[in-house]
Amino acid sequence: MFRSRKCNVLGAVTVLASLSLAQSVWSEPGVGHYGYGQPATEEQIAGWDIDVRPDGLGLPEGSGSVEDGEWIYEAKCASCHGTFGEGVDGYPSLAGGEGSLTDGRPHKTVGSYWNHTSTVWDYINRAMPYTAPRSLNPDEVYALTAYVLFLNDLIDYDFVMDDSNLAEVRLPNEPNFIPDQRPDTNNERCMSGCKDPASVTLVSIGPELVIEEQSIDAVIEVAAAGEAVYQQYCQLCHTSGLAGAPKIGDVVQWSTRLTKGIDTVYRHAIEGYQGEVGVMPAKGGFAQLTDDEVRASVDYMVQESQ
Amino acid sequence: MNKQAELDSLLQDVAKSGENLTVSDRRAFLRKGATFLGAATAAALSAPSVRAAMPPTEPAYGKSLGSPVLANPYGMPSKYEAHVQRRTVEWLTPDRISSISFTPLADLKGIITPSGVMFERYHSGLPEINPQEHHLMIHGLVERPIILSMDDLMRFPSVSMTRFVECPANGGMEWRGAQMDRLQFTHGMLGCAEWTGVLLSTLLQEVGVKPEGKWILAEGADGSHMSRSIPLEKALDDTLVVYAQNGEALRPEQGYPVRLVNPGWEGNTCIKWLRRLEVGDAPWYHREETSKYTDLMPDGRSREFTFVQECNSVVTNPCPENPMTRPGKIWVEGLAWSGRGKIKHVDVSFDGGVTWRQARFTSEVFPRALTRFGIDWEWNGQTALVQSRAVDETGYVQPTYAQLRAARGENSIYHKNAIHTWQVNKDGSVRNVQIS
Ligand code: HEC
Ligand code: HEC
Repeated sequence: MFRSRKCNVLGAVTVLASLSLAQSVWSEPGVGHYGYGQPATEEQIAGWDIDVRPDGLGLPEGSGSVEDGEWIYEAKCASCHGTFGEGVDGYPSLAGGEGSLTDGRPHKTVGSYWNHTSTVWDYINRAMPYTAPRSLNPDEVYALTAYVLFLNDLIDYDFVMDDSNLAEVRLPNEPNFIPDQRPDTNNERCMSGCKDPASVTLVSIGPELVIEEQSIDAVIEVAAAGEAVYQQYCQLCHTSGLAGAPKIGDVVQWSTRLTKGIDTVYRHAIEGYQGEVGVMPAKGGFAQLTDDEVRASVDYMVQESQ
Repeated sequence: MNKQAELDSLLQDVAKSGENLTVSDRRAFLRKGATFLGAATAAALSAPSVRAAMPPTEPAYGKSLGSPVLANPYGMPSKYEAHVQRRTVEWLTPDRISSISFTPLADLKGIITPSGVMFERYHSGLPEINPQEHHLMIHGLVERPIILSMDDLMRFPSVSMTRFVECPANGGMEWRGAQMDRLQFTHGMLGCAEWTGVLLSTLLQEVGVKPEGKWILAEGADGSHMSRSIPLEKALDDTLVVYAQNGEALRPEQGYPVRLVNPGWEGNTCIKWLRRLEVGDAPWYHREETSKYTDLMPDGRSREFTFVQECNSVVTNPCPENPMTRPGKIWVEGLAWSGRGKIKHVDVSFDGGVTWRQARFTSEVFPRALTRFGIDWEWNGQTALVQSRAVDETGYVQPTYAQLRAARGENSIYHKNAIHTWQVNKDGSVRNVQIS
């Protein structure tokens, strides 16, 4: 399954040999029974052991102020989470929603929903900023945690957060978490006369599954083979226009290109060519594609660009 | 708002999201679409290529040689199966990096989900990991903290088990009403596979858990460093540290080279690209067990650590993707599963739950695995409301929407396992609906 199987087998043989010398090990499995792997050193553990708990266990030394946090937040977080933590383009909001948890549309945020400040620190440190996780130093994470809490009116602007006071900052929703209470329904296995047929009414109807009519041959050729090839091999450049590739759906581009005749266009796709805007690699760079597959994906692009 | 107004506005919402969906993903259905319509089927039969392959004619592939061996050293499905794909619902997430795709349940048979179409869930995208470089560290309240290479891990005694993995948000879009247009989106955050790996209990024995140890933190190596707290009892019961799925190495999408599988529990706890297990004396309350994966109740309180995926089922034929082609006999099929153990019964109703008939099991019945059921039905060409209702070995009966909503309201997002209804229309099309 993985390479270096050979070493594996050799390793296993040596271990078996040494274990059979110490027979008792087999009969009493216990700590270090197999002895595989290497001991983890304190330094190694410290490098990966990034988790933090509500009681503050795991927090590294450090501190950061709301004011510092404001700068970092503007530079590294606001583009997605919004200047006020309101969330932009569908990215999560980090503030607001107080008192909304019993509404029809609850607004769950760090301020309205989360239960522990340590979680804010831990999550920012482990996963944010989204495009560059694990790039912040502890002081920055303290500052950002403080700033997110400030955005939720939970601490004052002059607050400085550090490893000794973080666990003391409690979030308002902490008392409202309860253990699992399931099973919490009690349906019965009724087999007949389970309800009055007249009482059965539709309460909600989902959207219709919309299907387009096409001849089965055309569809199999173009949609199945062509689209699949396109998605896997061509879309990288042709969806975004990377390297100057004509974008799929760009009606003007494609109708202009087709004026030289579809056969030339096919040939360019199969053999590759240097065009006016850039280089189209032969078969997009995927030599394993058959000519038919490339033609099908060209057909697909053309069909999508009418 | 009175009830009718509420329903109207709900239907508007539903219609709106339906528009988005059908416009963005409609093309994916072209191939199937053609077979949907009775007329198209007839047309297909008379298409020249089909006639040329039917008796008495000898088809072209019977009069020539095919490709040699090793044309595909690692085989792929037939190109005619290209419509069997994972799909996503674009409006669910702001981008495709922290996002989800769904298993095409309507096209699958039996109980094993082919690894290549098992649903995906990433939080920081799909990492590419060289197994030679990957390591698993086990530490915390243990006697002997260790670091295992993949080769080390694979030297431990291994076990294989067939179990489902389901995202607890499966069907979560339907709490407030029917919103999705097809089975793939109503139930497709679900898959079942034969998982092979080392029992976590074996590894814990190896490192020696100290008496204070009560919880395990599992953490991924990807950019999100996904982390969940798992009680020691589960870890010692059947939690598996998995490196193979359906006989081959895990697919990258499923956590290559190593992931956790907590059978019957929230898919989110089955940490992929696993790099670290820490033993502690209390849960960590990380983001994925506080902000997410907690269930908000109508009184404003939230349930935490709701691990189990309760008993659930759905009919996979017919369904919107597999409409009725003609009145008469049809073999109705579906899937049932329970995180608490084996499925004991599945009953099917065609009249919206007035009468029920017991279905047969048509697959092996494993605990915490998908179980296939089937039942004969004579469709008279009239509107029908098709439902399935599973019972697991604890005696728990899958609830109705009314019962679930009475217990939990509509805002808990996770763990929706209500009896599902497909409306079969006179023209054979099938629609996702909810009934009283
Ligand atoms: C490029 C967009 C982007 C940037 C920049 C970004 N985030 Fe995020 N953030 C996200 C996404 C996406 C999620 C949700 C990820 C998921 O659920 O997998 C998220 C989630 C969060 C959450 C959890 C929200 C919740 O309610 O669960 C916090 C807190 C957060 N980010 C803080 C930050 C901070 C602090 C920064 C700056 C250091 C930052 N983010 C930068 C995109 C971004
Ligand atoms: C690495 C980027 C890249 C990939 C991958 C790629 N293309 Fe292109 N393609 C280009 C560029 C750049 C051009 C424009 C060249 C020019 O006209 O200057 C182009 C042009 C084309 C054209 C227009 C030819 C013409 O005569 O005007 C076709 C057709 C085409 N590509 C098909 C494909 C197909 C089919 C695939 C997948 C099998 C594919 N491409 C993959 C970069 C790419």
